[in-house]
Amino acid sequence: MTTTTALTDTTDDIAARIPPKSRQLWRTLVGISALLLFTIATTIPAIGGINIDLASIVHNWHNGYSKMLQMLQPNFDFLPRTWRPMVETLQMALVGAAASAVVSISLTLWAAKPTNPDGLTRSIVRTMINVIRAVPDLVYATVLVAMVGVGALPGVLTLFLFNIGIVVKLVSEAIDSADHSYMEAGRAAGGTQTQINRSTALAQTWPLFANQWLYTLELNVRISAILGIVGAGGIGRLLDERRAFYAYSDVSIIILEILVVVIAIELLSNFIRKRLV
Amino acid sequence: MHTENQSPQTVNVAGSASWQVELDHVSVTYPNGTRALSDVSLRIEPGEMVSIIGLSGSGKSTLIRTINGLVAATQGVVTVGPHQVNALSGRALRDVRGQIGMIFQGFNLAERTDVLHNVLVGRFAHLPLWRTLLDLPTKHDRNIALGALDSVGILETVWTRAGALSGGQKQRVAIARALSQEPSVMLADEPVASLDPPTSHAVMGDLRRINQQYGLTVLINLHLIDLAKQYTTRLIGLRDGRLVYDGPVQNATDKDFEEVYGRPIQARDLLGN
Repeated sequence: MTTTTALTDTTDDIAARIPPKSRQLWRTLVGISALLLFTIATTIPAIGGINIDLASIVHNWHNGYSKMLQMLQPNFDFLPRTWRPMVETLQMALVGAAASAVVSISLTLWAAKPTNPDGLTRSIVRTMINVIRAVPDLVYATVLVAMVGVGALPGVLTLFLFNIGIVVKLVSEAIDSADHSYMEAGRAAGGTQTQINRSTALAQTWPLFANQWLYTLELNVRISAILGIVGAGGIGRLLDERRAFYAYSDVSIIILEILVVVIAIELLSNFIRKRLV
Repeated sequence: MHTENQSPQTVNVAGSASWQVELDHVSVTYPNGTRALSDVSLRIEPGEMVSIIGLSGSGKSTLIRTINGLVAATQGVVTVGPHQVNALSGRALRDVRGQIGMIFQGFNLAERTDVLHNVLVGRFAHLPLWRTLLDLPTKHDRNIALGALDSVGILETVWTRAGALSGGQKQRVAIARALSQEPSVMLADEPVASLDPPTSHAVMGDLRRINQQYGLTVLINLHLIDLAKQYTTRLIGLRDGRLVYDGPVQNATDKDFEEVYGRPIQARDLLGN
């Protein structure tokens, strides 16, 4: 304790009492250099790295140039042929998002600790979700096209699985980190966890759900545009077909259209999101 | 707004018998090794109005939570009415909890849902699961909830989102939630610590009225000496998890309070006027 009265008089004293800060600059430097060296090493074929031949950009320049030229002249006459596949894409996105939203509610509440104190069932659901998330969407689509045939169905199924993984993981983690004091009141009143979840936890967490549901809808429009390339319906199938015919002016109008639709959906969901909170 | 709610049923608290509460050599040690209660024995008769005082960390919250089993006693016997709470689990424990009302310092409301649904939480132990799942309480349960709201004077807030209420209103919703259980014992854990002085008096007045009107056993955790003196009849003092005072409020001297607090009484131990 110092006996000085003015606050500023203690400065010297404080300097002597500050605990030493551990200096770890060299550690940071070693870490960064190691990362840098490793990254460079992965591009050296002689030691098993990947072969990045930057020279091919120069060699094939004319090839790329002519295609770019075609792409820069989008064929607007082709637009009418894209309407139906684009509507199919939007339908797939919506159905996938809606179906996964319904299923995600109970799965999420089972996967979060506050809403499911039972460790066994919680880890079963979490493991299941992690397995679902580990498989890339295009792999689902490819396998499902082989299983149920070409069309919108494998696309919807792919989006459904993909969305379940996202919503359950993100919302259950958000529930884990939130405060749930109201649950003590439900427990004190003799309620079961299911009762507490249904009448209070659901109301408390539903904005978290709504946010992620909208996000999956946005993602679905983007992804379902690609899924058609492996045969899972929608605008992607048309895109792949035109590309196979080297009709790059058609390809570019499709890309433009996807861009416009994706931005429109994002604006729409931002608008809804603002209303929710 | 309210068409069918014109005649909310009066809460039938008096119909359920008031219970006694007995702790016999109760100790609580938390999993992290903290000893929150040490060998506490006390007996509270049906219809008593008791305050439990002590500094924060003295074990007040733990003591009150052993009574409804939210905290399990690691040693000793907790008896509430005809039930030995520390021996119960699952369905039987939930049934007993259903008859013990509790209110909290932080109100513990589901702030995003309306007042009615918060009060209906008090009917959990009486409602079959399917009714909760489908959000279809019986007319009887609804009327009890509305009657409980009416009895604390905030029936008009029934459709308001709980989060939009003032602190005093929130605590009244919490009291209504506890009343709608038609409880035999009422527990209150620092019910006025988050409220301003006038609202604190109003809430303490509500608790006293519940005690006098229905003859309900009421236990209140408090850290403010004057509130304890003014509203309760019996004082229990805790210090470091041990019972250091137990007797009628009017007999408690400043020296007794200093013994409980382990230091001289200060202005912050009083609510004032």
